[in-house]
Amino acid sequence: MIELTNITKNYVRGAEQVQALRGIDLNIAGGEFIAIVGCSGSGKTTLLHILGCLDKPTSGNMRIDGADVAKLPEAKLVRIRRERIGFVFQQFYLIPGLTVFENIALPLVFNRKPKDRDRVMALIELVGLAHRVKHSPSQLSGGEMQRVAIARAMVNNPQVIVADEPTGNLDTATSEKIFALLQALHGTGLTIVMVTHNPDLAGRVGRVLEMKDGRIM
Amino acid sequence: MEFIKLAFHNLLRHKLRSMLTLVGIAAAVTALFSIISFNRGFERGLAEEIEKTGLHFMVVPAGCPHEVASLVLHGAVTPKYIQAGVMEEMQGIAGLELISPMLITQLPNPARDRLDMVYGLEMAHITAIKTTWTINGAVPAGSDGILLGAEVAAHDNLNPGDQIRYGDRLFTVTGIIRKTGSQDDAFVYMPIQALQEILSEPGRLTAVGVKVAQPEQLEEITADLTGRVPGIQIVTMNDVLRSLGTLANSAKVLSLSIAAIAMLIGAVGVMNSILMAIFERTQEIGMMRAIGANRQDIFRIIIKETVILTVAGGMTGILFSLIGAGAIEGFVRGIMPYVPSGRLIRFEPWLAASCILFSVILGMAAGVYPSYKASKINPIEAIRG
Ligand SMILES: Nc1ncnc2c1ncn2[C@@H]1O[C@H](COP(=O)(O)OP(=O)(O)OP(=O)(O)O)[C@@H](O)[C@H]1O
Ligand SMILES: [Mg+2]
Repeated sequence: MIELTNITKNYVRGAEQVQALRGIDLNIAGGEFIAIVGCSGSGKTTLLHILGCLDKPTSGNMRIDGADVAKLPEAKLVRIRRERIGFVFQQFYLIPGLTVFENIALPLVFNRKPKDRDRVMALIELVGLAHRVKHSPSQLSGGEMQRVAIARAMVNNPQVIVADEPTGNLDTATSEKIFALLQALHGTGLTIVMVTHNPDLAGRVGRVLEMKDGRIM
Repeated sequence: MEFIKLAFHNLLRHKLRSMLTLVGIAAAVTALFSIISFNRGFERGLAEEIEKTGLHFMVVPAGCPHEVASLVLHGAVTPKYIQAGVMEEMQGIAGLELISPMLITQLPNPARDRLDMVYGLEMAHITAIKTTWTINGAVPAGSDGILLGAEVAAHDNLNPGDQIRYGDRLFTVTGIIRKTGSQDDAFVYMPIQALQEILSEPGRLTAVGVKVAQPEQLEEITADLTGRVPGIQIVTMNDVLRSLGTLANSAKVLSLSIAAIAMLIGAVGVMNSILMAIFERTQEIGMMRAIGANRQDIFRIIIKETVILTVAGGMTGILFSLIGAGAIEGFVRGIMPYVPSGRLIRFEPWLAASCILFSVILGMAAGVYPSYKASKINPIEAIRG
């Protein structure tokens, strides 16, 4: 479904060029659960952002369902993000003033879609927060916040969930539950790409990519 | 949930900061609305008042500046008097329907140990020249009756039937003039002859008010009068309108520049507050871009925040001006030599709407830069933190 060929990404930091990705070749099939591991600075987040169409590669080819996306302008990329990608972050990034329900419905606003109450409620149900619909994020635990973020990533019916260290801020027990939730989503046919530092979780997914110095080992 | 709701929630996150910014805008709009409304009220009130005086022109001593002459209408103590004989000369001129002598001076009030402002006039002319007055009691019929302005009566707690001594004469209050909101309230009105007798100056006059039989002949008559009677100057009600208008205008320019500065400060406040807000929300803005917001979406959310702030600030400002109208008018009456009577600051919907619109436009102008800046936030760097 997603094909990367010889993807590189350079950042300019002052006078110096940082080669964050140095030639990535990767094929992701629909319905895969992939874990990306590797030490800090190896390029995991950079790769994830490119997969999520949030960032553009410096060079190389990228196709989603056969369509070339490597050189698309931001205006086109944002549409792909809206319709096909769901993002989950380590720091959850929920909006404090909004309720659980409203946070989950937020992507619908940007996607110019009517607020589908039933769909949002079904997602709340799915992530196990039916008793928290009207709560604000400040009233939730870390695990609950990440559940809200996952439901938010799901609301536009994406094909792919990209998650950058989704359990990085959570204790082991809570991490397990979040991982179980991702596995459940994967079970429904969703493609999941997850960056993690947790080797135990990484060991339990379909494919593990280890990165080092901007390359997949 | 739409962008507007999102913007609203964002403002609620820092209630105090949003509140202070709003108050800044509100204060500026209060100034703007009050000043414009007051000026309009001033012009309107002045025109009405002039129309209602029932006099066409005032005869004042030559050399008396227009501004001062204008004030005679509302009782100003001028240092100059009309020369003797002017009244008699005027009586010989055809076409004058009413010739009303006036003498304005200060008299010692020994019982209260102070100077009272006293307005001597022909009591029989009162209904003709002071058409706006409502009198509780009666206009004095004899030479020892007086009328009191509302403030004088209230200050000394005087009622019809009470007595006041001026010089060697004892006067009886026959009526109290209902509050006019103008300088009229501060005077004691006395038959002019009695006043002249107290001063031992028979024939002394500050001014003569004239009503002509046919207003079309006004120009002719004033020309005739100036030619025939030396030592006088004629101030028509148009002159009064103009000179008081000029007075109000110079005040208007000054006060509007103050309002403009207040608006500018308000706008800078909005810009500062919104810039701070987007700085604090950088990561969140990055997140929104990741989950499907484009640059324009971010721009729209932020600009809506400024619009909400300025609309709310503008409406609060209008509310403040209406609540504070009495205090503002009282203050201005205290410092301006002449202010027409009656309520000047009024709620005029189109003016209120224009002031709010103006503040919104200014707020949006102030919001453009922060909104643009927010829309330029690089989501990748923002999310990285
Ligand atoms: N915006 C940027 N400007 C300059 N250099 C950057 C930028 N973003 C990333 N880098 C550099 O690119 C390299 C890869 O960064 P990346 O965030 O992808 O690593 P990572 O594997 O996600 O690390 P971590 O495990 O710490 O999250 C690092 O050397 C980083 O310093
Ligand atoms: Mg990373």
